[in-house]
Amino acid sequence: MVGKKFTLPKLAIGLVLSLITLVMFIPVINIFARAFSHPDKVHELTGLGVIPKGFSLINFQVVLSNPIVGQAIGNSLFITIVGTCFSLFLTTITAYVLTRKNLVGKTPIMIFLIIIMIFEPGYVQEYFVMKDLHLLDSLWSMVLYRMINVFYLVIMMRFIEEIPESLMEAAKIDGAGHLRVFVRIVLPLSRIPLLTIGMFYAIAKWNEFFKSSIFLSSPNKTVLQVLLRQFVVERDTSTLVGITELLKNSNVAQLDFNALKAATIVVAMVPILLLYPIILKYYTSGVMEGGVKE
Amino acid sequence: MSRVRTLPADPRPSKLKQIRADKILYLMLLPAIVFYTLFHIWPIYEMKLAFYDYRIIGDDAFVGFKHFKELFNTPIFTQVIVNTLVISAMKMFLLFPLPILFALALNEFMNGGFRKTVQVVSYLPHFLSWVVIAGVWYEFLSPSTGAINQILTFFGFQPHDFLTEKSSIRWVLVASEAWRSMGWDSIIYLAAIIGISPTLYEAARVDGAGRWHIVTRIVLPHLFIPMVTIFILNIGFIMNAGLDQILNFTNDSVASHIDIIDTFVYRMGLLNGQYSLATAANLFKSVIGVILVLSTHFLSKKMTGKGAW
Repeated sequence: MVGKKFTLPKLAIGLVLSLITLVMFIPVINIFARAFSHPDKVHELTGLGVIPKGFSLINFQVVLSNPIVGQAIGNSLFITIVGTCFSLFLTTITAYVLTRKNLVGKTPIMIFLIIIMIFEPGYVQEYFVMKDLHLLDSLWSMVLYRMINVFYLVIMMRFIEEIPESLMEAAKIDGAGHLRVFVRIVLPLSRIPLLTIGMFYAIAKWNEFFKSSIFLSSPNKTVLQVLLRQFVVERDTSTLVGITELLKNSNVAQLDFNALKAATIVVAMVPILLLYPIILKYYTSGVMEGGVKE
Repeated sequence: MSRVRTLPADPRPSKLKQIRADKILYLMLLPAIVFYTLFHIWPIYEMKLAFYDYRIIGDDAFVGFKHFKELFNTPIFTQVIVNTLVISAMKMFLLFPLPILFALALNEFMNGGFRKTVQVVSYLPHFLSWVVIAGVWYEFLSPSTGAINQILTFFGFQPHDFLTEKSSIRWVLVASEAWRSMGWDSIIYLAAIIGISPTLYEAARVDGAGRWHIVTRIVLPHLFIPMVTIFILNIGFIMNAGLDQILNFTNDSVASHIDIIDTFVYRMGLLNGQYSLATAANLFKSVIGVILVLSTHFLSKKMTGKGAW
């Protein structure tokens, strides 16, 4: 249905879309260019520059050799990986139970879930509950925080409802209980929603900074987003103690604060960029290839 | 006992029997119930603190609406509510048409390199944290080295520090939100466009309709339902002006201009230790939020058949 020939309006629309894409692209690529520039030459890089000046990895060397940054990356990875596994498992198992046909008490449970969906607990109370459960300053607080997302639970329920009942019935006749049906039939058939929802959980866990900054206060429990915020928003350079020592061993005259900042931003973006192709493939593929379906 | 056994069997298994048969199911449900009760219901219940004076030792003393009265006598809180509503409304009205226009523009291009590139680039910001976005935007808007100011000075304008000027900070919030969500939010409209039956286009073309007519007479009417649904449901979230975003874009020069209910609660409760007052503000926000979400849900359900859940 889409017009094949190039007309003036179409050219104009194409130009506007290109401009929008550039506005989205250039600030991000500029950060990459800054991060990969040599500290002595980075000042030559303009805000519109997309190619590093004097390509070098020194900024990353400085950032990653800092034990505080290393610890923060480790903490973030722990929360993201362990948290996503817990979240996925519990979301799926709960969705399985809630999709059983003659489950007694399904209506009150669904009402319970709607209340949870629309009523957010207060920040102060969330803090106190973590405190009362002795979870403050423990990475587990962030694993448990928002562990089961109601929206994802509902998406998972809709998916499991689509699995043919006959498959599960057949297994039950062979003597399989609910647990076995769940592990042997539901889980293997749910690979794609598991992957998609898993991506969203992982990204939310990796990106969370507000609750991490409240629940995790000791320096050795800090996560990468909180550290990055100190660095970017609060312009607190004290997290980069130890630079001077590194300077002695390198042939760099002076480190560039903005370039170091850019390198930290890039480090925080890496997991997202790694997961992004999977999101495009499984979540948006239908929309991306829309033109073909017509 | 023997008499019970001789009773005719109930054709439907009794509820109790069903529950007993499904023991394992309830066991599988248990972690979720425990989780929600501990981390969601319990903190909601504890919000009763808004009606009590917080005491470190001993029981909290019931004071009724004292903290709410105090709250509404604080000029800052009135300002905070105004800020919340203004920032939310700016985002709601100004950002609403963008994903629709974006989807319509994208629809003019066939599946291929250009369309895909635009999509891959424009969906990405949705997945970046506000910390990262702030980092990118601080550089983007930097008065000395930022792209925007370099373009401004190229055309002979004075460079501006948009992040520290009260007149511009709210626009920065709107613009960065557009930057983050325009591409991703267009997906729902693109999906609606894909769902349009090709026979409609055929019929229109037979009738000699041009491109403009096809867009206004066929495509736009098909976007009406998602448009109404999204707009109505957005009203339900008007009390959320974007805590994560503001915490990352705030600084001393503009803080009062973008101080919203959430930042007020955070500051009063978690930084200043005024737990009861902060909880009262939070409860006020939550209750209004629940009323808005519920009413917009039913309104949307009535008008379009689609609600928030």
